[in-house]
Amino acid sequence: MTRSRTYGLTGLVWFLLTIAAIAYATRLALVVAPTEATMGNVQRIFYYHVPTSMLSLLFPYVNFGASLCYLYWRRRDPLKALTADAVAIASAEVTVVYASICLLTGMLWGRAAWGIWWTWDARLTSMLLLWLLYVSYLMLRKLSATGQAHTLAAVLSVFAAIDVPIVYMSIQWWRTQHPAPVFFGGPDSGIDASMKPAFGWNVLGWAMWGIFLLLFRYALERRRQELEQDAALQAIEASLEIAQ
Amino acid sequence: MKLSWIFGPSMEAHHLLYAYVAVWLIQGGYAAWIAWHWMHDGMGARPSDTLNGPNDNS
Repeated sequence: MTRSRTYGLTGLVWFLLTIAAIAYATRLALVVAPTEATMGNVQRIFYYHVPTSMLSLLFPYVNFGASLCYLYWRRRDPLKALTADAVAIASAEVTVVYASICLLTGMLWGRAAWGIWWTWDARLTSMLLLWLLYVSYLMLRKLSATGQAHTLAAVLSVFAAIDVPIVYMSIQWWRTQHPAPVFFGGPDSGIDASMKPAFGWNVLGWAMWGIFLLLFRYALERRRQELEQDAALQAIEASLEIAQ
Repeated sequence: MKLSWIFGPSMEAHHLLYAYVAVWLIQGGYAAWIAWHWMHDGMGARPSDTLNGPNDNS
């Protein structure tokens, strides 16, 4: 069995397991988990909002690590740098997807729970800034005509990663409309034991989905890089033939 | 617990439904975008099993 076929089969199995995990997690969130006493059923947004928000703060670090590797390898080992660059763009896109969901589900929840769609408090604003930074990263890569777009984007990514701990700590550093941390937020934090299975399965399911998207997008980018390399080699060979 | 309440007229039911559907649409849309490019970009070109260069030990 060839390597690409093995990867394809592994990806398919992973995809099916992920869909099963998300389906089970969604059933737990909507049907099995108890209705929250204060907010009622709208609190069930929590089971999608919090796991995707947590993951939207993890994928930037994949982007950060890959960007550092790209900057280190770009002159020493260009082929390794290309690999790092593929991981970087894949993780940046997945970050934008998860951060978009975090913001959107947060607004839908906020309108029902607080009566407002948006407020410029520290958590919401720093999260919006994170989203804007990674959208900027993608636009820079897409639109820049300098020939240094990937290097500039890698530098931007290093600065963007600084916003991640600010987003995480914002609800502890400042008084915000956003609730205090659900986990690791002191003696009063945490959720009822009956809600933990729904929450845990959603974290697992959406983490598996994020990894699937990351690897699928990475594979697509590597294929694109390979096609570009082939086209460049053909152009060089053609120009050499003309010169002769 | 029955799930039919999620299609009810209340704001909380609407917002919960919108939130869950939005998540599936965004995630599914992005996955479909990758899959579409995977199927259509460089049609006929197969990724080789030796994509990495000779200097790549990964």
